[in-house]
Amino acid sequence: MLPRIRIRPLQWVPYLEPVRLEDASAAQLEAMKVTPSSTRISPYVRTLAHDPESYRARTELFNAIMYAKDGIPRAERELGALAASVVNGCRYCAMIHGRRLAELMKSDAVITALWHGRPNLLSAREQAIWAFSCALSRTPPAATGAHVSALRRAGLSDGDILDLIHVIAIFGWANRLMHPLGHAVPAGAGS
Amino acid sequence: MQDTIDMAAGLVCGSRLFTIRHEQAGFVAGTQACQQAVLAPADCHGLDTSIRLALAHRIAVLNEDEALARFYAGHLHALAPDGAVLALAAGRSDMADPLAGMARQADLVTMDNAAASERQLVALEAAGLDRPQIVALSELIAFVNYQCRITAGLRLLKA
Repeated sequence: MLPRIRIRPLQWVPYLEPVRLEDASAAQLEAMKVTPSSTRISPYVRTLAHDPESYRARTELFNAIMYAKDGIPRAERELGALAASVVNGCRYCAMIHGRRLAELMKSDAVITALWHGRPNLLSAREQAIWAFSCALSRTPPAATGAHVSALRRAGLSDGDILDLIHVIAIFGWANRLMHPLGHAVPAGAGS
Repeated sequence: MQDTIDMAAGLVCGSRLFTIRHEQAGFVAGTQACQQAVLAPADCHGLDTSIRLALAHRIAVLNEDEALARFYAGHLHALAPDGAVLALAAGRSDMADPLAGMARQADLVTMDNAAASERQLVALEAAGLDRPQIVALSELIAFVNYQCRITAGLRLLKA
């Protein structure tokens, strides 16, 4: 049996100085959804609020994709998100979504197997999702018809696969913000 | 109606895959709204649409997405950009800053995101970009990479 892994909490610290609420424009405040009763806004949100238009549009799309009512289960969305985060080298996203995956599955067997480089220990359906998600995340995208056939054999409809494609793609987006614009430090250590 | 992704992935109105895609109406509308926000925003922070289209073309080429590259090249050439912006679109890095700095960041984050670090942000600031421009550039780079994965995935489902 593989030694179990524990994921330590990390926090994200931006390299760029975030927008300060006292200096924020009306558009920035609106994008960050600052209200008199909610003034605690994360450094991540305040960093991206430097460009409120893209922040708003991306946040709406992200929520539509990650919290969609139909389609594949939440845990499988998190598995796709984790694959993208690993391929794109985003430690912070990998930590967050690895933890969420373990919570949703009520088991850390999957993240333990992946940490030890043993995706073959996953179920056939999880393996198909993991392999496709890793391949699609590469540049140029390296997913093939064989990956899609494996997903279909594992029971995913084309609507489900398209759902997964959106998860992988929106995580590549998040990874390309989180990792280049900041870094992860042990929780409690950052400013 | 066909949007950019339908066109780039070759999805014809009313086809099986077009119908499946457009059933996820929030994804379709949200993606198109993001395209507008990163390529032709109301406030461009001094990064005009020709620079944005040139970067989008460059990133589509790195992703080997010929259809998206053609789409961005068509829109870029309609704006009659100058030589430096055309060089940016063509994948060159021998322009003056800040275009050269933007080119390097687009290439790095597209090809090897894991290697990106604080060093590049310092370089972008030294090249003359302010914080809103750096964030807008980052969102643009990440969006085109997103878009290239949607089109690549759709082409596999279509095959």
